Amino acid sequence: MESRLFRFPLPTLPSAQTLRIFGVYSSGGLFALGIWFFLDAAIFSKYANPGTVHVQFVDWIPSICSVLGMIVINSIEKARLSAESFSFSGSNDAWKARLVLFLGFALMAGGLAGSVCVLVLKYVVPEYPFPTLYFGIANVVANSLIMLSTVVLWVSQNFEDEYNYSLAL
Amino acid sequence: MPHAGLKTIIALSFVLAIGFLLVILSSALYGQYSPLFVVATYLVAPIPNAICSRYASSYNDDFMDSGSSASSVLDLGRFLTGFLVLMGMALPAVLAHAGVIQLGAMVMSIIGGLLIYGTIIAFTMFFQEESDF
Repeated sequence: MESRLFRFPLPTLPSAQTLRIFGVYSSGGLFALGIWFFLDAAIFSKYANPGTVHVQFVDWIPSICSVLGMIVINSIEKARLSAESFSFSGSNDAWKARLVLFLGFALMAGGLAGSVCVLVLKYVVPEYPFPTLYFGIANVVANSLIMLSTVVLWVSQNFEDEYNYSLAL
Repeated sequence: MPHAGLKTIIALSFVLAIGFLLVILSSALYGQYSPLFVVATYLVAPIPNAICSRYASSYNDDFMDSGSSASSVLDLGRFLTGFLVLMGMALPAVLAHAGVIQLGAMVMSIIGGLLIYGTIIAFTMFFQEESDF
């Protein structure tokens, strides 16, 4: 038992490793939530659609872009981004990594912008009522959730760079 | 880690049976057997984590390569597990929204699936020590 100063001990913050693990799990959960929001719109449009407007391939394009962007962003070795000072094989690696990262972010932002574009052009401007409008809204929500999932994964993977647990086994 | 005895096993199997009962009831009561996919999702959910942790522990044996790739393999497993767990909750909601299953079936299959997955998690938490080394 350690000696305590206060009667009610402050809850100790979870360690960086725990936070990182939790972040990665919740990132997967957010990704599933996004994907299933969009799939829900697609399935609803196929099976229970009261209107005449359906989810078509145009609605799928933003989500495909977002998922591709997420894959590109997260497959980059993050140590490579700041590798200019101590790289072994020439100093050209950092700009390649940054170029690929830029492509990934562009894909992801394009996905989000495209989903808003589909919402406005396909559903808001013709002034469809709500069960049809839901397809566009679900698309925007799905793309935002995929983007949020990428952010959470990125932040939680950069979390433990101070400590290196690899030798502790 | 709490001590795992016979009572733990009995309680866990009881909870597992209740979970399966709820899922099977949610499909059989309404004559629509698609909520059974929830069970498949939750049974698959721990598999990526297990595969990736085993792979990463073999990866880390030559410790010249300092951990980065091993931890990304671990992260991939965790990401997929989180994805599958949330998919198990999202699947009945999507089915109910599309009108394939009823609302009661959705509630029962979500609760049953959570019980099943909780049993799996509790089981691996209780009995991990023996299988480690």
